[in-house]
Amino acid sequence: MIKYHPSEQQLLQFAEGTLPAAESLMLSAHCDMCTVCQERLRYHSENMAKTSLHDEADNPALDRMLANIIQQPEAERPSLNYSSPSTIELDGRRFAVPRALRRYIHKTGNWSSLVGKLWQAPVDLGDIGMAHFIYMEKGGRVPEHTHKGSELTLVINGEFSDGIADYDSGDFIAMNGSHTHAPGSDADEGCLVFSIVDKPLHFTSGLARLLNPFSHLFFK
Amino acid sequence: MLVGIPVEANQSRPVKPIECADEMSGYLVEVASDRSKVAFSKIFGYFAPRLRSYALKQMGNEALAMELVQDTMSNVWQKAHLFNSEKGSPSTWIFTIARNIRFDMLRKLQNRKEDICSDDLWPVLCEQTADANETSLEEQVTLEQLGHLFDALPVKQRVVIEAIYIDGKSQQEVADELSIPLGTVKSRTRLALQRLKDMIDDHD
Repeated sequence: MIKYHPSEQQLLQFAEGTLPAAESLMLSAHCDMCTVCQERLRYHSENMAKTSLHDEADNPALDRMLANIIQQPEAERPSLNYSSPSTIELDGRRFAVPRALRRYIHKTGNWSSLVGKLWQAPVDLGDIGMAHFIYMEKGGRVPEHTHKGSELTLVINGEFSDGIADYDSGDFIAMNGSHTHAPGSDADEGCLVFSIVDKPLHFTSGLARLLNPFSHLFFK
Repeated sequence: MLVGIPVEANQSRPVKPIECADEMSGYLVEVASDRSKVAFSKIFGYFAPRLRSYALKQMGNEALAMELVQDTMSNVWQKAHLFNSEKGSPSTWIFTIARNIRFDMLRKLQNRKEDICSDDLWPVLCEQTADANETSLEEQVTLEQLGHLFDALPVKQRVVIEAIYIDGKSQQEVADELSIPLGTVKSRTRLALQRLKDMIDDHD
């Protein structure tokens, strides 16, 4: 069951279209998985429509616009070729990808193995930045770290814990420099997440600190 | 943050319900089914000035504002068939179209590439590819194979699917029988097929 949702503020900004693109993408994907937030979003959109579209004096230029628009033909209904992929594969397992992220499936690179039963596949989001699918096998763990920037994570499939909380499919997790955590999965099925990090992670404990100079190679 | 609508300020203004929602819904249906210019003129007369005031605040200049209004209302004219009164009011639908167009316009003005577009973030106007799903489903699986998957569908969707695919009724006949709008039948069919498709994909 989904326990972690975007904040009210994030949803409001998402509904009005002012949330930064990377966050918007994560929220959209979360909403694909979360009926509660679909409803929250619908509520905010409705309110926003009421407050944004208030009465205004007519304008003569609008008459010309109307005449112009009704000359246009109806949009063609789309033809039948629905073939965009909706899953990604790792080691013979297929994972359904939320609608909002499907566009990026073909921009996803190959899986590579990291330390500690972790796998990652980079996803090129163009000017929005870089994202990763990260798969934690059972017992896989990311060394304890904090963040120089923000880290947005959506659980696509499975369960994991990070010393702060336990997460399940659909959970939306926003971390920043004030959080230190060590994500890992003990679930038999492991856990697949989608993550966007805008600055390299900063590892905080033990030998993992040696990773810091290279952390831009991982998870970012 | 590009433009912030101050939420608190808006809350102090009493939010008037848009009283003509049913009326506008009716006009949208007429535009979708009959390409009624009269009905569209009513929708335009009500919403275009309102959109213009929104657009002026958002875009900050008259030319861009009018472009936003024009693109929004063109979409309403051309894609009225995508409006579904079950999902929200006409004003919400039209507002979300404008919000999407604004998002894409601002990215374009910033010379951003099309790495992300509003259709992905808010699928307001995506043609729901229902037809494609229908075809591919029919090709891939028979109703018998779908068997128990049906039970997982919400009752409203199942009733529609059974009437169409088992009893062979047309969508219009189902709409008449259940006294619900044709658009609702279409959207229930689409949602049910998508859901079945997802379940089948999961089974693979």
